[in-house]
Amino acid sequence: MGDIGRVLNTARDAILANLTALNVTGSNIANVNTPGYSQLRPDFGSIGVFNANAGTEQVGVKITSIERLYNKYLDAQVVQQEPNGAFSQAQLDVLNNVESVFNESTGGGINDLLSQFWSAWSQLSANPSGITERDNLVSVSQSLASMFNQRANDLIKIQSDMNTQISDTVTQLNGYLAQMADLNDKITQVEIAGGSAASLRDQRTELLKNISQIVQVNYYEEANGALNVYISNGRSLVEGSNVWKLGVQANPNNSNYNDVVFQDTPTVAINNNLQGGKLAGLIYARDTQVAGYLNDLDNMAATIVSNVNTQHSSGYDLNGNVGGNFFSPAGIYPPVAANGNGYAGKVTAGGAYTGTTNKTYEVKIMAGGALGTATYEVSSDGGKTWGSTQPMPASGNITLGDGITLTFTAGTFAANDRFSINATYAAADMQVDPGIVADVTKVAASATVNKDGDNAGLIAAIQNDSSLMGGGMTIDNYYESLQSKIGQDVADAKNNNDQQTAVLNQMESQREAVSGVSTDEQMMNMIKYEAAYNAAGRLIGVVNSMMGTLINLGIETAISS
Amino acid sequence: MITRVSDNMKFDLLNNSMSNVEVQYNDIMEKLSTQKQVNRPSDDPLGMGKILDYRSALAQASNYQTNINSNKSWLSAAESNLTNVNDVLTSIKTTAISQASATASASTRQIAADSLQPLIDQIRSLANSKFGNSYLFAGTRTETEPFSATASAARIDLAVKAKGDAFDGTVTSGGVYTGLANKTYAVKIITGGTLAATTYQISADGGKTWGAIQSDLSAPVTIGDGITLTYTAGTVNMAANDMFYVHAYAQGYYNGNGEELSNEVNNGVTSNYSITGEEAFTDQGKGTVPIFKVLDDLKTALQNNDVNGITSQLDLLDKASAQISRYTGQCGTRTNGLDASSTALDDMNTRLTSLKSNIEDADVAKLATDFQMKQLALEATYKLAGDLGTMTILNFLK
Repeated sequence: MGDIGRVLNTARDAILANLTALNVTGSNIANVNTPGYSQLRPDFGSIGVFNANAGTEQVGVKITSIERLYNKYLDAQVVQQEPNGAFSQAQLDVLNNVESVFNESTGGGINDLLSQFWSAWSQLSANPSGITERDNLVSVSQSLASMFNQRANDLIKIQSDMNTQISDTVTQLNGYLAQMADLNDKITQVEIAGGSAASLRDQRTELLKNISQIVQVNYYEEANGALNVYISNGRSLVEGSNVWKLGVQANPNNSNYNDVVFQDTPTVAINNNLQGGKLAGLIYARDTQVAGYLNDLDNMAATIVSNVNTQHSSGYDLNGNVGGNFFSPAGIYPPVAANGNGYAGKVTAGGAYTGTTNKTYEVKIMAGGALGTATYEVSSDGGKTWGSTQPMPASGNITLGDGITLTFTAGTFAANDRFSINATYAAADMQVDPGIVADVTKVAASATVNKDGDNAGLIAAIQNDSSLMGGGMTIDNYYESLQSKIGQDVADAKNNNDQQTAVLNQMESQREAVSGVSTDEQMMNMIKYEAAYNAAGRLIGVVNSMMGTLINLGIETAISS
Repeated sequence: MITRVSDNMKFDLLNNSMSNVEVQYNDIMEKLSTQKQVNRPSDDPLGMGKILDYRSALAQASNYQTNINSNKSWLSAAESNLTNVNDVLTSIKTTAISQASATASASTRQIAADSLQPLIDQIRSLANSKFGNSYLFAGTRTETEPFSATASAARIDLAVKAKGDAFDGTVTSGGVYTGLANKTYAVKIITGGTLAATTYQISADGGKTWGAIQSDLSAPVTIGDGITLTYTAGTVNMAANDMFYVHAYAQGYYNGNGEELSNEVNNGVTSNYSITGEEAFTDQGKGTVPIFKVLDDLKTALQNNDVNGITSQLDLLDKASAQISRYTGQCGTRTNGLDASSTALDDMNTRLTSLKSNIEDADVAKLATDFQMKQLALEATYKLAGDLGTMTILNFLK
């Protein structure tokens, strides 16, 4: 049986439902440019029952739910992909700096100065007594040395900039982690109360992307809606509303390097546990790539210095004196006693380094005891291979090799005590011997005391010696290959980055295809809901007029009766 | 496969493409303006290495060219001097032949002897001529005038203590030189200390090669060829690398030595470019005829009206002439060798320059075409960007 009141109810439901739908459309349009926003869709559902026989037909409408359209697998892929892109981006930013420092495409730089350096020796060999030639040689050599200094210092500066960047990035990450914990808390509370935390979840997904740009993370969602985030070694960054913040700590072996650590365990560096993301990219570029270039530069400077010095000191200067060092020689750094050594006495290094490459010597105590009873082994390659076991003399003086000596004074050794000694030539320290700068007649150009130019000729011929840098490379070749290496690294990082960006863009497009807001679509929805709203309004008008009819009918009956 | 397009997708796509095209456009613009294909190492990592390699090789080649040119100038100066010497020798020989004949008399020989002296002086002056600041025919002792006017007996210079030595005592040379050619002896201190404690090495070739280590300089030491050195201690002891040297001369006119000057004219190729006075003018070392002695003997024979003396010099004059000719010829041979090296370097220069240019220089024609293409692409993208904002369903909902 029909019931006019029921029609009115149905119309009211329709108006409310479509108004809600319009409201959702409004939200979607408003958030068209909000990053990470997933479009909302109102789900209409019919209510009531239709029973033709019983005559209780009434089917109304209501918004059963407002659905957040998103595909969590796509989000997961984006979160997985972000670290790769951010890694190569961080690397590229750094390497671009390195490349601009080393760019010699327009001439000048080390390559050019090296040519001038060899040619200055050659000119001196043709006129060994010429003061002009000597002045020219010394001035070119100073330019070469200062170019090495400058390049090395530029690299060191880039490393220290990266250090700052690493600690800034860690701070930024800590901020994100705190936000994540906060959002976890809010989402859990809202959802326990039965509410919808759609926009909070959008924010959290976006936050997860930000975090994974900094460091690659694994994550899972708990039943209560909280998202737990941890790094590759399994340590948690966020669990529910708890946060484990990261920090930076100076590397014990190289105070120029900041290690990344957990704030609660500041002595354990987690550099190697960081995979992908900006932090790992910065660390890789700093510790592997830039450090590698610096090492190459140091090696090259060391080779030039040691070979030129050796040849130079077998010749004679204008006064008939034996040549000294042309460049200031390599240094032996003070020995470093390992942490936790039993030995508490003093240890000093001495001697003049005669090696041609940068080396790290290690001394390991085999059997502990006092001077005179302990035994030790020496490694000349930083601890990879060891020599035979030798007794520690009572004098405490031991010779390591390459002219390095160590002196221990009173103290008792424990087995496995370690001491390391760096004998290096740093490109940043390269300089022409001050004695030669002050008096150019001290350049030993002659092979005899008779002022011939043969020794200068022999030094010039070092240019063509392909046995110096390994792999059949001359010093010049070595620098060329360093240039190629830098170029290749930049090109690789660039390609990688382009590729990752393309993949990421593709994924973003796929995500947008599901979750993104299309204003055109929303317009169509708007028209649809508006029409339904208008129709329902019209229905109310009709019912209203029907009711009027009914009421008037009653009045007329009363009058006529 | 994308089946639904959101607003963000449209704008992102456009943004990405726009920046891509702009980057490529900028890249071509850079290459066009610098005219270079490689503007940074990452543009062509291997190529950059090669470019630097070619640059070093070119710099080295130009250096070798400089050496070759300076050697050639030296050789041409030596050659013209030696040719002049030969001309003078020829005229002396003519005089000698005529004075050796029976028609000549004591008085003509006296006149000839008088006219001979300026010719001898002329030869000496040619033999003592300089190239720049260096004596041409002094071996490696380019600061010492190689030929004296009169012959001297074998002699030993004062011993020289090198300027930078720590030792402040004195050293004196003594003995009678028995060597057959001019030499420079050197003494190098290996470990310093008092004279008695000192160890040292001796070199007979100016410091190139050294003998065994010996000790004790407190008594006079014989360092070789009859030379002795006597050290007297001062207030400062000997230090390692203190140097002492002494020049010793064989009997005759020559004050230079027998070492040739040399420099590098190609990778690993050393060219000796000087002719030593020893080989051209003396009978020491590689030389066979003591030319100044022959001339002085001839003059004496003429003065003494000694026909046999004159005749016996004729043969020697021939040999002298031959010796000069030989080294004049050697100047030419060496110059030819240098010319060949120079041509080879020029060839290499051309080849390297073209190789370098292939990698480094931009192909302007191709770039200009690419530039046009990118310009079109950029225009199309801008047009699209302009239209994107107006392309919406709103336009049709009136």
